Amino acid sequence: MARTGFCDSKPLLDLHKKADERRAPLRSWYACGTIDCWQPVEVEESRMVPVKMEPVHRWERRLSAQTNESIIMGFNEDRLTDTAADGCVEENMLLYPQLQGFPSLQALVPSLLRHEVETALEKLDLIWDRTFAWDMFLDMMRTQAINTLPNADLPRDFTDATRSVLVDWLIQVHEILHFQEETLYLAINLLNRSLHVIKVTTVNLQLLGMVCLFLAAKKEECLLPEVSGLCYLMDHTYTKPQLLRMERKVLLVLKFDLSYCPPLHFLLLLASIARCSAKVVWMARYLLELSLLEGQCVVFLPLQLAGSVLCLSRQILQEPPTPEGEAAWCLASSVHVGSETAVLRIMHTLAGAAAKAHTRETCATFIKFSSPETMYVSVHPGLKNIAALLGVCT
Amino acid sequence: MAHGTSLQYEPVAEIGGGAYGTVYKARDTESGQFVALKSVRVQTDQNGLPISTVREVALLKRLEQFDHPNVVRLMDVCATQRSDQETKVTLVFEHVDQDLKTYLERAPDAGLAPGRIQDLMRQLMCGLAFLHSNRVMHRDLKPENILVTSQGQVKLADFGLARIYSCHMALTPVVVTLWYRPPEVLLQSSYATPVDIWSTGCIFAEMFRRKPLFCGESEVDQLGKILQVIGLPSEDEWPTDVSLSRKHFPSLLPRPITDFVPEINELGAQLLLKMLTFDPLKRISALNALEDAYFQDEETLT
Repeated sequence: MARTGFCDSKPLLDLHKKADERRAPLRSWYACGTIDCWQPVEVEESRMVPVKMEPVHRWERRLSAQTNESIIMGFNEDRLTDTAADGCVEENMLLYPQLQGFPSLQALVPSLLRHEVETALEKLDLIWDRTFAWDMFLDMMRTQAINTLPNADLPRDFTDATRSVLVDWLIQVHEILHFQEETLYLAINLLNRSLHVIKVTTVNLQLLGMVCLFLAAKKEECLLPEVSGLCYLMDHTYTKPQLLRMERKVLLVLKFDLSYCPPLHFLLLLASIARCSAKVVWMARYLLELSLLEGQCVVFLPLQLAGSVLCLSRQILQEPPTPEGEAAWCLASSVHVGSETAVLRIMHTLAGAAAKAHTRETCATFIKFSSPETMYVSVHPGLKNIAALLGVCT
Repeated sequence: MAHGTSLQYEPVAEIGGGAYGTVYKARDTESGQFVALKSVRVQTDQNGLPISTVREVALLKRLEQFDHPNVVRLMDVCATQRSDQETKVTLVFEHVDQDLKTYLERAPDAGLAPGRIQDLMRQLMCGLAFLHSNRVMHRDLKPENILVTSQGQVKLADFGLARIYSCHMALTPVVVTLWYRPPEVLLQSSYATPVDIWSTGCIFAEMFRRKPLFCGESEVDQLGKILQVIGLPSEDEWPTDVSLSRKHFPSLLPRPITDFVPEINELGAQLLLKMLTFDPLKRISALNALEDAYFQDEETLT
């Protein structure tokens, strides 16, 4: 796991940790957003000196607008509370008997989720200070939409097939260079975004892909390959100056904005909350990587992709359910509640892709996940039965 | 894009020859707005733009997405190739006419109203809490890079730049004021986000005094001035990884902070002491400071 994907700079020395060792109290959902930490409570504001704070309101409006949009992905706080409360409170109470003294279920469920999210982020080593864990999670939820594309359109002359050939090649290069998985997801995101704004000819498509991988590595990796090495990997089709010129071009059109919350982080977070088995997680990672090859998947939010691949993975593997496991799964699913349509579409697409993966020309991912280290998930017999898989999704 | 930059932003004046290079006030010819241009020349080697620049600018861009009210807007980033070895990266910020230094200078003779100071401090803390929760330290907080709009809105500026600059301009003789530096930086020990809390504490005191709290002339002198106020810390609070020994300093007892900041009220003084705590681990964090009784106190407003 790279630790850099979350926040873009090297971690600060964690002097806070000792001072703030006490865990943030399990407060009710309404009291725990970042919003109230960031800005003074409005009532107090108006009582003060007659200062007009226009930008504050603008900011607030925008935040709430984002929250409304995010109903699509299920991150509407009220809704999350309701649904979670309907579904699985009782089982959760069994899971966490020590919390039974809490005043109301409405307050309890989000607190549970908060606690689980914080623990999971900490366990995954994705945070540096637990005090900020919940804020970071809220940031992930809010910002995931920013660099997701509005449509799956490709520039003229390009087809989904061309794109997936390029992505498949990048997956191979990524593997040769021993990069972190985050780097791959970022690289493909940069590629998708660049294709929308840069005019590039088919001839330069490979160069663009390599530059996206190179930039992603600059953001995520500790060790960088030499540019000459990258040119070698492209059979010296392009020169170093060409590559560096493309790098500048991509940075400029993307305005240096390389932030992206990889779906992999959501996947690991959900899997940790849901107490998924290693095999379910590997299968989900395989399916998630397959989604990179699918042109239609670029429009989905990282959280939707993560939720879908976990669902699909569980259904493929059909592990015997346990009460604790089901309760944990229920809590994890409450994070992306409201995305059912998107989840079904993604599951459908990926079930098809997984069933055909071994017959395709673009099979780098299939091969990668057929190794013993990945628990042979790509050759799992459950994947072969297309009809049953598609039946699962309808 | 090279000409794009110079066409879109028309320099109007030089504002402050900052420690790290010249800052220009310019007009955005598309919107008519004023902006502040800060450029850094980056050496491009065999591997193109350096990792540090790519990461830092990406981080600033990421923060921008949150549109936080107490952080100055980064409106644009341009990169111009100057030669094969050098690229100029220009950061285009919103322009705010007044910084806290000027704001304090222009305050009426009676000083700022306690309610005004409380409001400024709250905004300052909100901005800091935001930066810190995103793992960004400012590292060079001082009245000059805290901007105050004509509506009284506080905006932190120049955060995160310290690292971009220090990576590439190590050879430039840099004069940075010592007055807002915490003991751990003066002692060259390891430091993190609590540095900004110390600086904010100094600034908090300065809002009442309208002159800096600790005006040292060298690192040791600065530390001496600090210890005259907060007293000499115990042996176990003194960092172990530093060359300057505790024995260098006379054994001093802490003096009441109100001797130095007489206008401050009781709750304000308590918060100030939590911020001017020698040990960075015991210093209050920005998030906790926001929940401090000082900010809940309504009497300050009257």
